[in-house]
Amino acid sequence: MIPRVSYSMGEKGLHRASPEANLLLLLGFLVAVLACPGILVKLGALALVFILATLSGERLRAFLRRIRFVLIFAAFLFVAQAISIREGETLFSIGVAITDQGLLFGAQMALRFLVILSSSMLFVMVTDPDRFAHSLIRLGIPYRYGFILVLALRFVPFFRQELKTVREAQQVRGVSPSVRNFSSLRRAIRYTFLPVLVSGLTRVDSIAISMKGRCFGLHPKRTVSQESHWGRMDWIVVGLLLLLIGSTVIARRYTWL
Amino acid sequence: MIEIEELCIQYPDRLHPAIDRLTETVDRGEVIVVTGPSGCGKSTLCRALAGFIPEMIPAKVSGEITVDGESVWTADPARVATRLGLIQQDPDAQICTLNVWQEVAFGPENLCLPPSEVAARVEQCLAFVGITHLAKRTTTTLSGGEKQRLAIASILAMAPETILLDEPTANLDPEGAQAVFNLLRELRDREGRTLIVVEHRLAPLLPLSPRVLVMNKGGIVIRRATRRHEDLVALGLRAGWDLALPVSAKHGEAVPLLVKDLTFGYNGTRLLENLSITVEPGEILGIIGPNGGGKTTLLRLIAGLEEPDDGQVIRPKDSVLGYLFQHPHQQIFERTVRGEFAIEGAISDELFRRSLDAANLSGLESAAPLSLSLGEQRRLTLATTLIRDPHLLLLDEPFIGQDRANVAWIIAKILAARAKGAVTLLVSHDIPLVNSLCDRLLYLGSEPIIGDPRTVSARLQMMEKDAFTPGYWEGETA
Repeated sequence: MIPRVSYSMGEKGLHRASPEANLLLLLGFLVAVLACPGILVKLGALALVFILATLSGERLRAFLRRIRFVLIFAAFLFVAQAISIREGETLFSIGVAITDQGLLFGAQMALRFLVILSSSMLFVMVTDPDRFAHSLIRLGIPYRYGFILVLALRFVPFFRQELKTVREAQQVRGVSPSVRNFSSLRRAIRYTFLPVLVSGLTRVDSIAISMKGRCFGLHPKRTVSQESHWGRMDWIVVGLLLLLIGSTVIARRYTWL
Repeated sequence: MIEIEELCIQYPDRLHPAIDRLTETVDRGEVIVVTGPSGCGKSTLCRALAGFIPEMIPAKVSGEITVDGESVWTADPARVATRLGLIQQDPDAQICTLNVWQEVAFGPENLCLPPSEVAARVEQCLAFVGITHLAKRTTTTLSGGEKQRLAIASILAMAPETILLDEPTANLDPEGAQAVFNLLRELRDREGRTLIVVEHRLAPLLPLSPRVLVMNKGGIVIRRATRRHEDLVALGLRAGWDLALPVSAKHGEAVPLLVKDLTFGYNGTRLLENLSITVEPGEILGIIGPNGGGKTTLLRLIAGLEEPDDGQVIRPKDSVLGYLFQHPHQQIFERTVRGEFAIEGAISDELFRRSLDAANLSGLESAAPLSLSLGEQRRLTLATTLIRDPHLLLLDEPFIGQDRANVAWIIAKILAARAKGAVTLLVSHDIPLVNSLCDRLLYLGSEPIIGDPRTVSARLQMMEKDAFTPGYWEGETA
């Protein structure tokens, strides 16, 4: 299952903010969930991610589908922590004792994971990679590195499509995708990743040739032809950033938050 | 001016040189068409001219290539690109950014042109190739033809004197290919650019009065300036297929493939609407039409890889399905050729040997399938598909990238399956070939048309869809 990490074109909400502002907001989310000891700010941050995704034109259901694998893994983290932590007062037992500390720590871990991943996916969804690369170049990062990001995102839909095609080719040839033991797992990995890898490497070669053939790397600097202007939405994003930072400061003061 | 002198190129893992003592001169403003069988060195020549060999593609080289007096061996490919732009075969594989406007701006930005000049060039080149309306689109949403126009605009935006096109129409539908040929004519007439075009389909290029270079085994075997179709015929370069299809025998109790009122669409677009067809055992149905018209989708629906919105596909009970995808590497999973034959179950040694011989793959039993040439991979995937004697054979563009000898081999296999009573559906953009090979044609466009090839072509001619008729490709209307 490849997560749908890709940019969606749009005109609403965070789409109208500059890549720099969106990056600052992402950093704000990361600081909030990593610096806060309790779960209230994390819950608030998660709600804010969902609200911003909806305001940016993504339907809640579609966004949930987009982060489906994150939700599944977060649930797994929660359960794993809840059943493995022994400290605290036992609340109930399901073969193993479930403690209040286990539930709290599990919820913290799961929420931290959820906010980091979902806010990152929101950032990718609303930030035009080309504009983002240009922003990085404006900020002084060498353009070769800026374009690594554009290419990485360019490859995500390609790999998703290629994987789908290879699985269909297996289906047509009667190759079972089910994994019953180590040997069938090894076979499934080989049958899937070998063709996808070959396609990927071929594509990398072609794009490298195409970039060189369009004078990439000819000069130490390159023109940035699309200027970025700080607008109203950027100030709104800064406001949200201040809200996140403010909440973090308060939460650290009152640790029960 | 481009001068090539005693050029030799040998790849590290190959016994024979890809280019063997080739000498040629291309004058400013000339139109050169390079043709020849697969593996004769056409693409290698393009990559060498563009400076990618040996800088990015390792190979042993000797001789000399100069562009306007400067050797390409010592120059950075990015510097060569200011004079000579290469458009590769697969348009999808050369797109570097995610937005159409940005894609065209990518080259001029690398040339460090002022932003106003970048914008002016982008607007001008988008208008030249007729895709101004797509400027804000993401590149992943474009059709194959639109991507190829974008690739041409992206190279034009850097204003190189010479443009090299390596099979620019290989992945395009006939109308997309026709648009590219018209564009080349514009480039020659309005811009006076030097054009070097690698292409198998020569008739549509004749109005450009090209100098035709025929390559074989790394060298040029024929040089001829021409604009006459008769010259191509005289040189043996007319690639027509005059196949006399035997009358299909009756196949006893064999059951036809039934497609009933099939309706399918996605993202709000209806691709197929109430499509009903019956394909008899021993019949070859050719499927033609524009990119995105639903040809591959129809095969996928028949194979059960998609669920129809409405209607149904009735396949003969317990029928064995053989489905050949467009790219052979997507259907190769094992580490050896022998392993590929055994994926769907063990086969006898005798059957394996017979299949291997029939596919001209003898001696390659232990070879890694992905190390084979494209032609060998295609023969391998078709051989592994046919080993189970499929009742239903679905072929999606099996001729792309294949030379004449391989195409002849694939045709022989299709005809053998037909003789055994297989129901064959063949998707192809090779209009002359499907007209010769198929019992009936299905055109999937705005209005589906089905019938014998002659009737379908006549209808398409009336609809002014010349590119879908064999005459356009055989020089009758060129």
